[in-house]
Amino acid sequence: MIEAFRLGVFSRGATLWDGLDFAFGDAAAWVVVGPPSSGKTLLLAILRGERRPDAGDVVVSGESLFRGNAALARAWRASCGHVPEQSIADARLTVEDLFRRSALARGGMRESERVERSDRLLSMVGLQGARSLRIAEMSISERVRASLAAELLRGPKVLFCDGVVSAAGIPCREMLWGLFRALAREGNTVILAERTIPERWALAAGDGADVGPFRVYRLPVPVPGANRIYELKH
Amino acid sequence: MSERPSLWWIDWRLSRGALVRETIGRFLFFCLLGAAFLSLLLSGGTSRFLADRFAVTAVLRADVPAAEAEGLARKAAELPPVRSAAYRDPETAWKEFLLAYPGLEPLRAAGGNPLPGYIEVRFRHDRLTGADVNLVVSAMRSVSRVDQVLAGEEWLPRLLHAGRYASWFCRGIFGAFVAGFFLFCRLQERGRAVALAGDFAFLAERGVPAGRLAASRAAGAAVSGFLSAAAGAAAGGGALFLLLREFPSLERVIGPPSDLLLPRTVAAAAVFSCFAALLSAVSSLLGGRAALSGRK
Repeated sequence: MIEAFRLGVFSRGATLWDGLDFAFGDAAAWVVVGPPSSGKTLLLAILRGERRPDAGDVVVSGESLFRGNAALARAWRASCGHVPEQSIADARLTVEDLFRRSALARGGMRESERVERSDRLLSMVGLQGARSLRIAEMSISERVRASLAAELLRGPKVLFCDGVVSAAGIPCREMLWGLFRALAREGNTVILAERTIPERWALAAGDGADVGPFRVYRLPVPVPGANRIYELKH
Repeated sequence: MSERPSLWWIDWRLSRGALVRETIGRFLFFCLLGAAFLSLLLSGGTSRFLADRFAVTAVLRADVPAAEAEGLARKAAELPPVRSAAYRDPETAWKEFLLAYPGLEPLRAAGGNPLPGYIEVRFRHDRLTGADVNLVVSAMRSVSRVDQVLAGEEWLPRLLHAGRYASWFCRGIFGAFVAGFFLFCRLQERGRAVALAGDFAFLAERGVPAGRLAASRAAGAAVSGFLSAAAGAAAGGGALFLLLREFPSLERVIGPPSDLLLPRTVAAAAVFSCFAALLSAVSSLLGGRAALSGRK
């Protein structure tokens, strides 16, 4: 359970938002929708423990990320996955490099296992045979899907995705819809930050909850034990 | 999931090509540096050259029998600073004289060999100091069979001074090379840290402490620095060994090739490798920190 209490951020000499409360339950897929420059990326950074909020606190499984034990906060960050909206620094890398780095952050993985799993993950996000491609040569949609696949290699317990659905594009929505729900069904927590939520997703999620400038949706998760669409875990 | 990722050889795992190129370059430089270090160590700067050129000559009285003169030479050879002490009988002395001053054969026709026998004392290169020369000269002068001792006492202090300065100059050049190498390594480390900044940020975002990352990188740099330096020193030493065997005249300046295999030489090479490891680790830390802070 990720809980945020009375969160406040002051940015560019003004209060961006203040006094926001969030509660993200485990084994669920959440979508935080907000207009441009509303602080969605900032909110994800705060929830990941990357950025200290100017007011309030984030509590994960009863432990404060910012006022508690630093080792616990590090362990939390290690258990999180993050797919950024855009990563200019990674442009020089190949898709293979992304997977190698991800495997390293996971704590090591046999070469053969990494290759085999990265091929499976890449084909799952529609990027078969893209392992040798340079990030700089790929489209925004391909980049974000490659980053997502590389992040999934680590098997993060909590996955934060910043603008992934809109960057991936309409043809990939069905795939992402299934993927995120499958992840949640497997016991993971997925938190997406988006400018808009696809209409079909909003219909399925029902009315979201308004929190400050954001609207938070919880995606419906299929019942455990149903046919597994994606074999993300070995 | 919360297991700590192993950061051992992280640079190797993230940037193999660049690291291989750098390691090859460093190994080649360590070969040169190792050969220079061993040359400097064995030669003692200019000490061996001076010790090869300098000798104390103890001129014996005319009536000293050869057996007694040889016994005296053996006694002289037992003095701590002495490398060798050889007796030259009057006949050998005369031949050497004629070699140095050809055309003076008529001198002997007047009344036999005019030259007495002598003992030539040569010093160990690491004991060629004013105090040690005085010690040997005093010991030889105290022997009644010795007529006079020629040790060049007028010019010796100046020669030793000049030799000392020349040795320091050689060490200074070596030090400058080491310092240049260190700066070069630091720039390389900085460049690599800049290139891998995205990867390090990725790891930091996933809970890897920056201090642990820097320490792991420095440890990796130290190990690879030690191995490269050890291999470089071995290769440089091997090349020096072959060079000394091929050109024996160099032994006068550097020393015999067998000295390369002495335990103290091997120990010095190990210290050299440890120092290289330390330099590599420091350059990794400084280069990484400069890359993070965006400084040069």
